[in-house]
Amino acid sequence: MTTSFPLARATGRAKPRRARWSRLLDPGEATLGALLLAPAAILLAVVIGYPVCKLIYTSFLDLSLTSGVPARFAGLANFQQMIEDPVFWQAAWNTILIALITVPGALIVGLALALLANLPFQMRWPARLSLLVPWALPLSFAGLIFAWFFHSEYGVVNDVLQRFGLSGIIWFNSSRLAFAAICLTIIWKTSSFMALIILAGLQTIPRSLYEAADVDGAGLVRKFLLITLPLLKPTIVVALIFRTITALQTFDIPYMMTGGGPGTSTVTLAMYIHQNTVSFLDLGYGSALAVVMFILSMAVTALYLRMIRGSEAVE
Amino acid sequence: MTTDAISRAGSLLSGKPLRVLAALILIINGLFPALWILLTSFKTEAELTLKPITWLPRTPTLQNYVQAFSDQPLLTFLFNSFMVALLSTALTLLVSVLAAYALARLNLRFRGLIMSLIIAVSTFPLVTLLVPLFETMRALDLLNTWTALIMPYAVLSLPVCILVLTSFFESIPRDLENAAMIDGCTRIGALFRVVVPLSAPGIFTAGILAFVNAWDEFLLALSFNSNPALRTLPVGIQLYQGEFAFPWPVISAALVVGIVPIAVLIVIFQGRVVSGLTAGGVKG
Repeated sequence: MTTSFPLARATGRAKPRRARWSRLLDPGEATLGALLLAPAAILLAVVIGYPVCKLIYTSFLDLSLTSGVPARFAGLANFQQMIEDPVFWQAAWNTILIALITVPGALIVGLALALLANLPFQMRWPARLSLLVPWALPLSFAGLIFAWFFHSEYGVVNDVLQRFGLSGIIWFNSSRLAFAAICLTIIWKTSSFMALIILAGLQTIPRSLYEAADVDGAGLVRKFLLITLPLLKPTIVVALIFRTITALQTFDIPYMMTGGGPGTSTVTLAMYIHQNTVSFLDLGYGSALAVVMFILSMAVTALYLRMIRGSEAVE
Repeated sequence: MTTDAISRAGSLLSGKPLRVLAALILIINGLFPALWILLTSFKTEAELTLKPITWLPRTPTLQNYVQAFSDQPLLTFLFNSFMVALLSTALTLLVSVLAAYALARLNLRFRGLIMSLIIAVSTFPLVTLLVPLFETMRALDLLNTWTALIMPYAVLSLPVCILVLTSFFESIPRDLENAAMIDGCTRIGALFRVVVPLSAPGIFTAGILAFVNAWDEFLLALSFNSNPALRTLPVGIQLYQGEFAFPWPVISAALVVGIVPIAVLIVIFQGRVVSGLTAGGVKG
């Protein structure tokens, strides 16, 4: 403002070219930021952005690679088919049921494991290792191993039942028992992750709080309910929501244990998408199924972001 | 009376017998399945059909391991898994080091929005991309290549790695970079010569999480690679079952071969894995 007009005009004319060159050699904050974030953005655009658009588009197409008919617009036909498809409803119900059973299940088991692992051991690594190995074990391996555990004749589960004088159970012939075996396996596999997260949360609780409670004469149960649980709440909420989202994607364990059987009684949404896409090559219908699952997941994620923001506001 | 009972329970909890019991519960819960598979892998097929079942192998044999490597190309599966995991880890680390540096150090206008977006991506169900990715890979003629898996796997771990690395970079004093820049380093030069070496522990942590994610993935590997020579371990392992036969001892041997590398990795880097999980704790 204080500089005289002609001077400003003169430098104003000369500057752009020089600024462009110096920006290339020593970029400003915004340009540098864009450059550094670009590879991540490109990778995300190629693997998620473009495919999501394509997914939504394909879900309105009649596109089956086996029919030999070229793709054509089908409106809401795929979604109409879905509403009338009993296997879809079965798969959706199974997926939701798996989340409803295994998420609280993994929380309870994980909390118990974390409390045990938090005891004052002289050596920390055996407890840690016993939580890390199940976490790192591939889901598909866990499915295979537990299919063998629940084997009706040679499985170790029935062996233990029989040693206690109970009769062995034929797990995979009944839809309910097969479903139960799957849920038990998922709880075993995922409780270790819960426990690791909760254990880290436990270790941030100051000891002085427990010492003060001791002075007040509080017992174990009260200390747990009044100190441990409230302070763990943010950790537990984060772990629960991530677990819920992965539960909606359940594929490996039922695929390995039952292949969806008996009948279609243990099919999940992810398995049904895979079946329609890779086996039947019905890409239109598979996409419509995926859109439904995508919406389900995004709803949970939105809830998650709101809760994260809520807890940040409290801090 | 009740306080007495509670304090007795309290002293019991801090007592040694209980700690031993707790350790036993933890170890049996966590390691028994792997141990059982290890025991099974040394049993003969005949021994498996004995009733009641035997827990320890009576005549331990290595035959199952020989068969695991000869019945299916197990070595190839291992090699594929290892290369796909390693290359996707390298890709995701390179990309996330750059992004995390920008988020940790620069005054970005939409930093909060970008962070929210990264958290949202970390919850993204890759299953829903099965159809469009399958089509895209088919169109690009990438089905049955490592690349078809490396790119989605890199994205799978990108959010965790960015979150872990951002918090790590923030803990490194800015003065060190400034000193390097005064000595004539460019900003990118300072990143790779000063910040990255100092962040080696954080980069290791992020790398292990990415490696485990890729090593474990099954659905995309199953769907995109039907060529036997390119199968990864989780996909290859199901090939041991015939239409009616289920050679459990051989499958167990193959599973042991698949578990050992990841277990070794976990044993070596256990502390880092735990800190990584809690810094970016996003995978169930």
